[in-house]
Parts: sequence; C-alpha cells; structure tokens
Amino acid sequence: MIAPEVMNEWYPVAMAAQICAGQRRVTQLLGQPITVHVQDGVIVVTGQAGPLHVTEAFGHVWACPGTPAHPLFPIPEALETGRRLVDVGVVRVKCSPLRAVENFLDIAHFPFVHTDVLGAEPHTEVNRYEVQIREDSDEVWATKVTFYQPQAAKSAEGGIVTQYMYRVPAPTAAVLYKTCPARPDAWDVIGIFVQPLSEELCDVWPWMALYDDATPQAELIAFQQMIFLQDRSILENQIPRLLPLDPGMEIPTQADLTSIAYRRWLKKRGLTYGAQMVAA
Amino acid sequence: MIRLYDYVLSASCYKIRLMAALLCVKLEHEAVDFHPGRAHKSAAFAQLNPAGTLPVLVDGDLILTESTAMLVYLAQLSGRDWLGPCDPKSAAQVQHWLAFSGRLAASLGMARLHDMLLYEGDIDAWRAQGHAALRELEAALSERRFAGGVWLVGDAPSIADIACFPNVALSQDGGVSLDAYPSVRLWTRAIRALDRFVEMPGIHRLHELRPAPEVA
Amino acid sequence: MTQRWTATGLSQDLPKAVAMAGHWQGHDLAVWRSASGRLQAWNDRCPHRGMRLSHGFVRGETLACIYHGWVYGADGGCKHIPAHPALTPPATIRVAAFACVEQDGVIWVAPAETVGAPVALRGLQPLRSISLTCDVVAVRLAEPALSGDDVLRGLVQIGGQACEVCLLVQHGASGLTLHALCAVGADRIAASRWLEDLRRRAERKGAA
Repeated sequence: MIAPEVMNEWYPVAMAAQICAGQRRVTQLLGQPITVHVQDGVIVVTGQAGPLHVTEAFGHVWACPGTPAHPLFPIPEALETGRRLVDVGVVRVKCSPLRAVENFLDIAHFPFVHTDVLGAEPHTEVNRYEVQIREDSDEVWATKVTFYQPQAAKSAEGGIVTQYMYRVPAPTAAVLYKTCPARPDAWDVIGIFVQPLSEELCDVWPWMALYDDATPQAELIAFQQMIFLQDRSILENQIPRLLPLDPGMEIPTQADLTSIAYRRWLKKRGLTYGAQMVAA
Repeated sequence: MIRLYDYVLSASCYKIRLMAALLCVKLEHEAVDFHPGRAHKSAAFAQLNPAGTLPVLVDGDLILTESTAMLVYLAQLSGRDWLGPCDPKSAAQVQHWLAFSGRLAASLGMARLHDMLLYEGDIDAWRAQGHAALRELEAALSERRFAGGVWLVGDAPSIADIACFPNVALSQDGGVSLDAYPSVRLWTRAIRALDRFVEMPGIHRLHELRPAPEVA
Repeated sequence: MTQRWTATGLSQDLPKAVAMAGHWQGHDLAVWRSASGRLQAWNDRCPHRGMRLSHGFVRGETLACIYHGWVYGADGGCKHIPAHPALTPPATIRVAAFACVEQDGVIWVAPAETVGAPVALRGLQPLRSISLTCDVVAVRLAEPALSGDDVLRGLVQIGGQACEVCLLVQHGASGLTLHALCAVGADRIAASRWLEDLRRRAERKGAA
C-alpha cells in the first residue's frame, strides 16, 4: 500500500499544451495506469478508480491521486511579464524519481558530467552554502550557492561564476534560480517536474522561465535537453536504484548539504515512494 | 557556409557534427524542435525535406537528407582522407558499413527513442535486432584486431567508423549494454580518443585523456 | 579453493588506463588497469552516491568516479574529493576490493580472502569473450567434443584441423559468457568463426 502522505501530493502527468492540442496521454502514476485527456473542454486525469484531482500550472498538468494535502506550490516568477516560458518536453529515465530530483540539486558533478558547459576542471570546488527547511512553506531551500561555469546558459559567453538558489517545493519537483546572463538583476528559473511512473521509473519534464528574447526556442530546448540527457546515463547507473534514506548507505560531504536536507525532509514527511529505508 | 538542420539528441545529426569536427569543417547549425515540438514534421520543414527526417545538410543548391551521403560529402570536400582506402575490396567494405549503420539506427536507435522519448513500438524486437547487429560488429572488429587493426576498414579511421559509432556508443540509452562486446567497446574508445572528437549527451568526456589538475 | 575463481574477461580486452564491468557470482565489479598496468577488481559502486565505478576514468594509478570525480587509490581508499580540493578524505571512505589475478591472458576474480590460484591453462592463447542466451548443457549438446562444467575443454575441428579449445564459463543474469582460448599457433580468425558458429548451434539447441 502506498502511504497517504504520498498519495496526497501533486505530481506532473503531462504537458498541458499537448493535451490541449488533442493528444491523449496513456501513462502511469505511482504504479497505477492513468489517462490524461480533454473532455468537454477541460483536462481530466482518469485512474482505475475514477477521476483524479487535477490542476494546471507552469505548462504542465498536475494530478493528485489521493486527497490533496495542500494546493500545488506556486512559482511566482512564472507570472512575471517579460519571461519566456519554455516547455522542454518529456524524457524517460530508469531511476527513482527521487534520485532524479536529487541529481538536479547537485552542483559538484558539473565538471565531470556537464564538462565545459556547466563546469570544468580545475574549477571543481564547491564553496559553503546555506540550506534550510523553511517552516512557513515546508520547502527545502539552498541559497548562496556559487560555481564557476564555462557556459552557464545558451545566452552566456565565456566563463562566469554563477550564483544559484535551489528549492524543493514538492517531493518530485525542484526549481533552481540562477544568474541570468542577460539581466544581472534577475534570476533565470529552471524547473524539473518528475512524474513517478513507478518507484524505479520516471518521466521527467524540464521547464524554464527565462529572460532571453534573442535565442530561438529550439535552441533553448536543445540546450536544456543536452544538459538533462548528460545526467540520464548517470541516473540509470546508480546502485541501488532506490534513493537510500539510511544515512549509512551513502557518504555525503559538505557539498551535499542540499541532498542531505532533501533526504531528511522526505523521511520526516513520510514521502518514501522511490526511497529505500534500510541498507539492503 | 554549410548549414546543418540539427537536433541535439539525434544520433544521426551527431554523426554529422562529429564528422565535421574531426575534419575541421565549420557548420552553421539550425536547431530544429524535434522533441517536443515535432517541427521536423511541419509543413514548413517538408519544403526542405519531404521525408520529415533529420539531419538535413544544405550547401548552396545541394540539399542532402541522408546522413551517410553527408559523410561522403564532407569527407570528399576535405582531402578524401576519411573516405577509406580506394582499392575495390576496401571501397566495398566502406559501403557495407555505411549500409550497416542503417540497421543500427533501425534497431539500437529505435530502442533508444523508445526508452528515452517514449516512441511506441516493439522494444523487445528492437533490442534483439540491436544485439544481432552488435554481434556482427563484434565479430568483425575482433577479426580486425587479430590482424592488428583498430578501425573497421584500413589503417585509419574512416566514414565507416563514424557512420556506425553514434548508435553503438549510445546503445545503453535504449537498454542495450555493451558489456558483452569487448572489441566494440575498445573501438568506441579509440574513436572517443581521436583529436578534435566532440561528445553528445549520453557519451561522456574521456577525462583520462587530460592529466589530473594540480591540487592547490 | 580454485572454484572460487571466476574468469571475468581476457587481458587483451582491458588495456592500460581502462575500466570495465566485471562480475563474480552476481556481484557487479569494476575491473580496471592502472597506467602502469596494475589490475584490480572492486565493488562496482562509488560509496558517495552509488554510481557504477566501471563507468569511471583511470588517471595514473587511480580510478575516479564519473559522477563527482572522487578519486580512489590502489588500496581502494578515497584519495581526493574534487568538490573539496583541500580536504584529506577520511580513511573510512573505501571501496571493497576483490582478489584479481591475471594468468594465461585471463582475468580472474574471487572474494578478497581467497587463497590458491585459478586453474592453469598451458599451451593456450586467449581468443575472444562471447555471450550466449543458452546454458552450458546446450553448448555441450552443440559440440559433444567439449566436456566440463565451469571449464569446457576439448579437441574440435577448426578449418579442417583438430584444435584444442578451452571455454571458461561465466554465469550471468541473462545467460552465459564464454571466455574462449585456443591452442597457441591456431588461426584465431578461423577459431573466432568456429566460436560464432558454436554459439548459433548452442542457442538453437537451447531454444529447442
């Protein structure tokens, strides 16, 4: 049985534009078959036991298979004028949905996995940053994260020290805020929305809200797909496939403070779908 | 300037990006929103390529829509070193591997699109056909090694190697492991170690080719 | 004790400064050769975030994880964490090592405490490793001249000549891997084609 804490969360299940264009998506959520389609002008998500709670936000359809414990988290920046909202499209990964989120929160892998784009030797050091679980919103936040990047964004030219903030507002969603090369006073916003098909398989929907009027849409999508697909071969080769919440199973360092907080937060809230509690 | 209509995750587009990089040919890239936009199936794109496939290479009034033809074109333009030896046997072998690369795309390539971008189809059949092709490649490369060779044809890398490399190196993306194919693995390493080699997502940098940075 | 040794590959398929995946009875291993030629077999899992070390890269006498670049030295101990260049990693960060020897051109692995040596294979040269989707019984049915269980040996006809062959059996999740050796001086191309043919016949027997 899946814990009610898991059932009562929101999960991304489709790209809204594709469903609104008439596509019918037959897929899975938490191991159960679901269908996402338009019926009488509204998007519906149907499971074996009937319709699921549905909401539409940030270009995606979100569903809750139980009774929503709270409304879907906000991303206020998505409403700011002047931002381009980019749906990057789905990518399937054979890994725990939680491992996909955790990888998104990690910067220490940039020089080795996103070589010469998001990082490069010898600039491998991760400086101390701040991590907290915000009481008011019950979200994991990492702030004051900095990293040297050879090509931080499609619009970036040459290497810069990029500043980051990371945010985990839902068990299978994360949002990052990073230095915007075109506008030093603003942040680019990149989200990763993970649909847990099962505990060891997920559909990942990257999404962006950028200040960039110059770059063609296809290039923005290509850049983000390039980044995520570099991670995919890592995610499919981590052992065990489930995310270990037992502290003895994997050895973190100071660079992994966000990951440590994410794992604690999942454990405390009982959001253990895709996790392994005790070392096998 | 030669223009490539390109998609970053396409193994066939990567073939051309890799060949151009190895040959020091500069390409103008036009990103096509293959996924999720399916722009390659749009009416506008059909004017360029009615088949609706990527890549497309345009040089003046020449429009090429088959990636192996593009390899031949780039190699012909660049001093012919990459066309393989021109004796009858070798020339035929190069053609063999160019055609064989189509089988790799139809098997390993489709398995990858299924596992990664949710293409519908018979995944078990695609993987089985992929293994069958890898067995043939492994046998051929093993025989080459017994004769002291590294590359598919002749003593130097050629368009035959570049045509076959992408879908093989990316096979794990489609759930096909190269663990059972040691000669294939060593051949992919040899290609990845070439001067001016460029990666694509799913093929990591060979960090061992550079020394470890000095620890401060 | 010799039966604890399992062949996991041929020396010719693991050049200097390369890592590959290996197996010992269901345990996944990272088998790698340092720049100076030293061979080692480790648990195929970086203690940091569980990434397979067989995907890693060899620099000098160390193996580094492809995910975060953690560097492991000859004893399996972590020597360097790139995210914290000034830190000396605690001695507790360590990858478990298996015993690994190279003999007759074959890479053998066994649990760390294993004593004794693998079976000696004199007069033979390494040929190829191939995987099959059938079991050993089907291989013996396809080639009755072969006998044995973990080590199949026999005198077979290759290119019209009698040739001694030896197939070292490695069991995997989806079938067998055979590490093949043939008589020194035999035509390896002919022997490789014989092996391909043996596989086709054995898999047909196995499917029947």
